[in-house]
Amino acid sequence: MHLLSLLIFIPFGTALLALLVPSRYGNSFRAITLGVNIAQVIILLLVLSHYKYEGGFQLIEKIPWISIDLGAWGVLQSEYFVALDGLSLPMVALSVFILLIATLSSWTLEQNRKGYFVLLLTLNGAILGSFCALDFLLFYVFFEFMLLPMYFLIGIWGGTKREYASIKFFLYTLLGSILILIVIVALYISIKTPDTSDRIVHTFNVLHMQDFNNLIPDSLLALDSIKLVGVFSFRYWAFLLLFIGFIIKLPAVPFHTWLPDAHVEAPTPISVILAALLLKFGGYGLLRFAYPIFPDAAIHFSWLVGLIGLISIIYGALNALSSKDLKRLIAYSSVSHMGFVLLGIASATVEGITGAVYQMFSHGIISAMLFLIAGVLYDRTGDRMIGNYSGLSSKMRSYAAFVLIAFFASMGLPGFAGFMGEVMIFFGAFQSSSVNGLLPVWMAIAATLGLLLGAAYYLWTIQRMFYGPFSTKNVTADLTDLNRREFSMLLPLALAALIFGILPQLLLNYINPFAGDFVNNLFQRGNLLTP
Amino acid sequence: MTTAANSYILWLTLAVLGLPLMASLSCFSIKQKVGWLAPLLSSILLLIASILASILFFQIGSEYEVSFSWVWFNLNQKEIALSILLDSKASIMMLIVTIVSFLVHVYSIGYMAEDYHQARYFGMLAFFTFAMIGLVMGSNLLIIFIFWELVGVSSYRLIAHDQEKETAIKAATKAFLLNKIGDIGFLIGLIILWSWSGTLEVADPNLISIPPFWLATAGVCMFIGVISKSAQFPLFNWLPDAMEGPTPVSALIHAATMVAAGAYLLVRIAILFTEDVLILIAITGAITTLAGAVGALFQFDIKKILAYSTISQLGLIVMAMGGGAVQGGYFHLLHHAFFKAGLFLGAGAIIHALHQVNQQSNMDVQDIRNMGGLRKKLPITFISFMICAAALSGIPFTSGYVSKEFILTQMTMWAGNEFSWRWIVMSCTWAVTFLTPIYTFRLVWFIFYRKPQHEHNIEEVPIIMRIPLIVLAVGSLAMLSSLSPFHISSVINVLQQSYPSTNTIISFVSIALILISSAAAFYIYKNQDAKNQKLVTPQYYLDAVSNYFSLLTLKLSEATRWFDKRIDFLIHGISYFQITVAHITGWADRYLVDGVVDGIAYSAKGVGAVTRSLANGKIQSYLLWAMAGLVIFIVWILY
Repeated sequence: MHLLSLLIFIPFGTALLALLVPSRYGNSFRAITLGVNIAQVIILLLVLSHYKYEGGFQLIEKIPWISIDLGAWGVLQSEYFVALDGLSLPMVALSVFILLIATLSSWTLEQNRKGYFVLLLTLNGAILGSFCALDFLLFYVFFEFMLLPMYFLIGIWGGTKREYASIKFFLYTLLGSILILIVIVALYISIKTPDTSDRIVHTFNVLHMQDFNNLIPDSLLALDSIKLVGVFSFRYWAFLLLFIGFIIKLPAVPFHTWLPDAHVEAPTPISVILAALLLKFGGYGLLRFAYPIFPDAAIHFSWLVGLIGLISIIYGALNALSSKDLKRLIAYSSVSHMGFVLLGIASATVEGITGAVYQMFSHGIISAMLFLIAGVLYDRTGDRMIGNYSGLSSKMRSYAAFVLIAFFASMGLPGFAGFMGEVMIFFGAFQSSSVNGLLPVWMAIAATLGLLLGAAYYLWTIQRMFYGPFSTKNVTADLTDLNRREFSMLLPLALAALIFGILPQLLLNYINPFAGDFVNNLFQRGNLLTP
Repeated sequence: MTTAANSYILWLTLAVLGLPLMASLSCFSIKQKVGWLAPLLSSILLLIASILASILFFQIGSEYEVSFSWVWFNLNQKEIALSILLDSKASIMMLIVTIVSFLVHVYSIGYMAEDYHQARYFGMLAFFTFAMIGLVMGSNLLIIFIFWELVGVSSYRLIAHDQEKETAIKAATKAFLLNKIGDIGFLIGLIILWSWSGTLEVADPNLISIPPFWLATAGVCMFIGVISKSAQFPLFNWLPDAMEGPTPVSALIHAATMVAAGAYLLVRIAILFTEDVLILIAITGAITTLAGAVGALFQFDIKKILAYSTISQLGLIVMAMGGGAVQGGYFHLLHHAFFKAGLFLGAGAIIHALHQVNQQSNMDVQDIRNMGGLRKKLPITFISFMICAAALSGIPFTSGYVSKEFILTQMTMWAGNEFSWRWIVMSCTWAVTFLTPIYTFRLVWFIFYRKPQHEHNIEEVPIIMRIPLIVLAVGSLAMLSSLSPFHISSVINVLQQSYPSTNTIISFVSIALILISSAAAFYIYKNQDAKNQKLVTPQYYLDAVSNYFSLLTLKLSEATRWFDKRIDFLIHGISYFQITVAHITGWADRYLVDGVVDGIAYSAKGVGAVTRSLANGKIQSYLLWAMAGLVIFIVWILY
């Protein structure tokens, strides 16, 4: 059963087939995409039924992919290697769910449907591929593959400043990709496969990369490499490059400015995918690649990771407070919430790591809901300025109810998934000073300010937009309440936010073994190196 | 106890918790067309809940403790449990909450009869009750915290029930944000406890076996939660503003839920508080109780007077708990629930009655200067209001007297014979005992006794609103909690501790004090012309401070916004630089590189032209060149 391959390649295959359908059958494309999404849901259910609650990788598929004999340079080897563990499974499940919602959200799209849905399917496959890949080169290929569809989806179907936003998105992400690529090359020349034949076989296998025994002695990234570049050794630099590469994606301050622009200009479904899934690669990359491969550097730089997380939390929240555009506000709140992920990772405690994964999952659900909400208003009026609305709740009752749910879920109200993630992160960040001495206590305490600011910007928005006597400025469109399609998108998301807030064990069954192993590994190997 | 009895109690408990939730959910799912069903349905469910709660209360009795626990989730191989701890303190609180909430529900049927959003109102009211009951029975701090926040959210929604009223919405936002400060304090305290002890169960002795510094810090953090929730200094000014909500909501907030949550938490986690933290608690309570009492003296809005009196009474309770009078404080909390609910519902009845006849005029129906002589027109309201007011003042034969006297006795004994800071706290207790009757009877005088200021043809409120008033007034009499009206001899020994013997001197002094001040109030305010009095709102500059902070935050957020644009400028600068460089290289490419290439091409062309001209296809010229070449060759070889 090649479940994961099916999950990844069904959308790619369908995208190719869909190219053959003439574009005059406009409505068929959305049906095809929906069919793919439903097939993926079924496959996901099969995956869940095969997956056992234990650590390590499961559902492994491994086929040699590229193998080139480079003579004196050894052998270049890359594999098609996909598998799931407690980190990637929640992300894959989230992706399948959100991509389904995104298709529903694209249902009424009119402009060039063929191109749009083909790109959406490509994006779909690339996202799932990136989450499953355990070969760094394979991951990189999928990772880059996401970039182009995204660029066109924003650049063609976006708002008025779409070209600027899509270029900015593209360049920023490309910069991150290049930094990651540099490290991939450095890793490639420093890592060999563990087999003992006299020829050196260079590999991109991430699991091999995590084993210090596979480091080629005297290579660039060897543990005892005394070569310094500036103040740090190569290993530290490599970690920093990976770190910056991934926090551009996260995004963390100061590499976040592409996000508000991309969100404001992107069409609603693309905003949903961007916030709910693409941002997760930041946290995922750190947990999958940067931390396990460079545990020594990760421990050394944890204060930096934590500090950037803290700055993102506060800075993002403050910017959200001053935003006048609803979508920009939500985008900045994403910066703030992803800062919590960084803080949890930096704590390197079991609670913190669990919380980080939980927060990524819950943010996926809640931010999808928030962007759909912004989209509902934009669809009706073409205007998202907060100051132009007042008293919406008297006109759009069920819309206002969902807004209230989404806002409260996002500000971390207990009973919703966001709260569980944040609480675990706080547990971890606070404990860090006594468990492993990585983060000072004040960081955890300062981060709670993010909760207060979060409540402030959301309540202020509710106060300005939804309460008070009804009035609008510069808006002539008819403000109708949610239609059935919008309702059917928002309701599952609201229920998911509620279910994972009340029954956290559903998700923790998967995350717990991963988080435990992760922290053990990190310190077993990382501490070998610290004097 | 047998398991059968245990499971019986479990089902009772879950029913008491579940019924309000059920009421809430069914109200929310009711269609607008049959919106009138919502009040009936939720009132009936609450009635059942309060009956079950009273059965539970008698089952638990005074010595019996039951706890239930289920694993909720595992974090780092430690279990976090959904756990319930029922002791006499919890069960009596549950009883009070359900009864008061039921009465507020019934009252609201009349009060909110003309409201369009009835279903939402009753749904939220029931949810409020649910959250409070969950908070009371929970024994895991995380569970308590969750319900704690739900209480906050429900109050937010209820204060902002009238969504078109700007002041109400602002008040709701303010209440929520000030409470959020406390919530964060609670959260930090909880995190400290979890980090050091690995447990969150309030009944687990491991909880407090942590380093003393952290125990004290956790205690202070938890107390910050209490400060905001129970409206203590310096976070109390959300409470008077919250009066913008519907009056029955105020009754619920002030009596059984919300503000009671903080004081209840103090009892629930009493083991956490070290000696130093108790000093902080006592002093905070003392400041609050005085500030509230003085504030109440200068208000003219009937609801705001009551709000400040709540602040004062809650301050008294918190002070008592920080000092040596935990039992007295807890009793007063329970009694306060009844008489304050009675006072608020009475005020609501007055407002309702005045509002019915003054809908057209823009007279402020909440201003006590516009009232007067209402005792003849609203007799039932008058009598019940008087009883509750007497209880608030601590006049003998009322419940308020019993618990207040209890607090006075315990505080006086706690202060000791030698002068210390405790004396200051204790004297605050006495000062408040003196001040309370003054503002209470000032209120009563203005509303009921003074010459009528306006001619109203007002009628007594509907029967459905009168019944709760009567019940609460009866509940404010002494016999319910104490067989003897002059000292505590409770039917059920709620706190499982022996009560101190009453000190006759203290009793006499306190009775004398209360009676004197009550008389003084009548004497002072009898001859006062209210028309000329200016409206004073003693906010103690706390509003200014909180406004300053929010302004500061907004300024900061503008600054970050500015800075964010600067980051963009940096990026733009880099890209402009790149583009400029690209243009330069483009120019260079066109004119230099291309120039060189072109130059080469030109020269190649020139050379080509020359060589081409050589290859002109004439045999003669080829012959000539061949001959010339041969000559050159020969010459070169020869020399």
